[in-house]
Amino acid sequence: MDKNFLQSSLKDSLFTGLIALALFGPIVGLRTVAVNEALVVQPKWLVVALIVAFCAIGRFFINIYSFKKEQRRGEPSSLGKAISNFLDTKGSQIALGAIIFSVIFPFMPFADRYWMDIAIMMMTYIMLGWGLNIVIGLAGLLDLGYVAFYAVGAYSYALFAIHFGWSFWICLPLAGLFAGMFGILLGFPVLRLRGDYLAIVTLAFGEMIRILLLNWYTLTKGPDGLTGIPRPSFFGLPFKRYPDEGVETFHTFFGLEYSPMQRIIFLYYLILVLALITNFFTIKIRRLPVGRAWEALREDEIACKSLGVNPRNTKLTAFAVGAMFGGFAGSFFATRQAFISPESFTFIESAIIVAIVVLGGMGSQTGVVLSTIFLIGLIEVFRDFESYRMVAFGGAMVLIMIFRPKGILAKRKPTITMVKEK
Amino acid sequence: MSEKLLSVENLTMKFGGLIAIDDLSFSAMKDQITSIIGPNGAGKTTVFNCLTGFYKASSGSMFLNKDNKTLDLKKFSDFKVAQKAGVARTFQNIRLFPQMSVLENMMVAQHNKLMAASGFSLLGLINAPSFLRKEKEAKEISKYWLDIINLTNRADDNAGDLPYGDQRKLEIVRAMCIEPYLLCLDEPAAGLNAKESAELNKLLKFIQKEKKTGILLIEHDMSVVMGISDHVVVLNYGKKIFEGTAQETKKSPEVIEAYLGTEE
Ligand SMILES: Nc1ncnc2c1ncn2[C@@H]1O[C@H](COP(=O)(O)OP(=O)(O)O)[C@@H](O)[C@H]1O
Ligand SMILES: [Mg+2]
Repeated sequence: MDKNFLQSSLKDSLFTGLIALALFGPIVGLRTVAVNEALVVQPKWLVVALIVAFCAIGRFFINIYSFKKEQRRGEPSSLGKAISNFLDTKGSQIALGAIIFSVIFPFMPFADRYWMDIAIMMMTYIMLGWGLNIVIGLAGLLDLGYVAFYAVGAYSYALFAIHFGWSFWICLPLAGLFAGMFGILLGFPVLRLRGDYLAIVTLAFGEMIRILLLNWYTLTKGPDGLTGIPRPSFFGLPFKRYPDEGVETFHTFFGLEYSPMQRIIFLYYLILVLALITNFFTIKIRRLPVGRAWEALREDEIACKSLGVNPRNTKLTAFAVGAMFGGFAGSFFATRQAFISPESFTFIESAIIVAIVVLGGMGSQTGVVLSTIFLIGLIEVFRDFESYRMVAFGGAMVLIMIFRPKGILAKRKPTITMVKEK
Repeated sequence: MSEKLLSVENLTMKFGGLIAIDDLSFSAMKDQITSIIGPNGAGKTTVFNCLTGFYKASSGSMFLNKDNKTLDLKKFSDFKVAQKAGVARTFQNIRLFPQMSVLENMMVAQHNKLMAASGFSLLGLINAPSFLRKEKEAKEISKYWLDIINLTNRADDNAGDLPYGDQRKLEIVRAMCIEPYLLCLDEPAAGLNAKESAELNKLLKFIQKEKKTGILLIEHDMSVVMGISDHVVVLNYGKKIFEGTAQETKKSPEVIEAYLGTEE
């Protein structure tokens, strides 16, 4: 290691220490306490010194071990390169392996109730990530209000199912359709916006939907939420221990012992199928003219116009298709929980889904899976340390951005090739 | 004498107090290369932006004769000029889709016909043979053009990774993929070396002669202009100061004073 590099690393970490001092000095160092009914400032310089030292030393090690000179320009690290090379060349085998693993997962010996619940939650986030990947990854529209479509899907599913008593397979497409319509509704006013402006308006849209759900009491029961959403049935066979008179249930029909796990396993396969549909649909549509137009729009809108591509229709289809899959996922959420309230659709959900897409590598389907496992897994591991969960989440994002600045999987495959592949 | 393809009449474009184009009239013939020259800031790019619907002209009119019909270009907004009127353009600062492959760039240019063939994606999703046939055709058209500019072997590389000269040529053939009646090129020779410049001339000649496409060319490089233009329009401060053949332009005292004189 040459001296110059060591020197600049040292300088950089000292600077980091200064920033940490400026930030943590007033926030952590100066604490006000009430003494005899008067507020007194109580300095805590030792804590500040520890934090500053931690930041500076940490930065120094990051400098030395990760920002090796040739990598300073955002080049992926060698480990990352090896991983993505592996994923690129063995991509289809890995995907097949992952699908097979997902299919046999419920029959693994360790797959108890806890693991199944986590698997279902991850699958839901993977599906949402794949849906949002269309809007952010392909069309390049930074949508921070994606949870709104998840909410619209969940509520429209719940309302249809409660009030009309329609079955899951009728309510699901209707909920998707509704969410898609909301996608277009959001799309129209933001057609001219890009980047930060678009992000702010979509964020506001997400909040508007949540507040609407909170206040439209006659329809949504506001903060009380909707209860009694019908549980899904296996093609008409309910999962119930004590069925109503004359009604066949799943376990009696198949001659099985009743177990609450049957319903969980069914829900797992349901979300697996929905997620895979989302995935294969996206892979396919990316290779169609509309998918290519989405990506072209992300690259250069003016060039698109000069070639006669209609930017309005192209953007609206991206919003609508992305929203539709959000709506499907919402339906699943509603039927799984049997209870929904606006609390489940806060901004933090949108933020997590955006993080999944961005950290996975914009537009990469496999990247979404990897970052979901990483991020949701991390949140789960920290479940017992409630207050540190978000710190861990943020830390994980920082780590990925340091080691893989363009996301876990950044390589993009062309949608059509001149030379036949392999 | 060939037919008139484009006629611009009394075109004026104002940006606040600045008059970028001042009462400009000229016409371009079918199967001809018409050059617009003039010093920096003369308003050349603004003419293109008005023609292709990126700016709304303050006054004046622009007509395109297409299949014996006269289209009023003012009635078309940005993307419709390319889609409906068949006017294609390139940009002074190249605008490719840099993270997409060369072939994908060519396919996006054929978006409208492919979109129709894919039945708004429904036929495409089920791999309908009619769509696959169209897609194959579009790929062949792309290959045809890439062969002409010797880029077929790089068809699967990102467009942004090409050398500068190839990016220029790619932008031109990409524009040709919409099968335009009029092709507007904004300084295509800027930044090219002598060899690339000569190749560009050949390409433009080919488009003019074989494809019967009218070309409107903004150019600074006099060797390009004088070598291939059939007709030259000279702008200065938004006004037309001369119009004629390349030879006439070279000799015109006004032009020499306003433009050529200061350059050489
Ligand atoms: N969008 C715009 N807003 C304000 N002024 C503009 C705009 N576009 C061009 N102009 C002005 O119009 C004049 C002509 O510019 P342009 O057409 O780009 O010249 P050039 O002949 O070099 O292509 C310049 O003075 C330029 O500043
Ligand atoms: Mg210009």
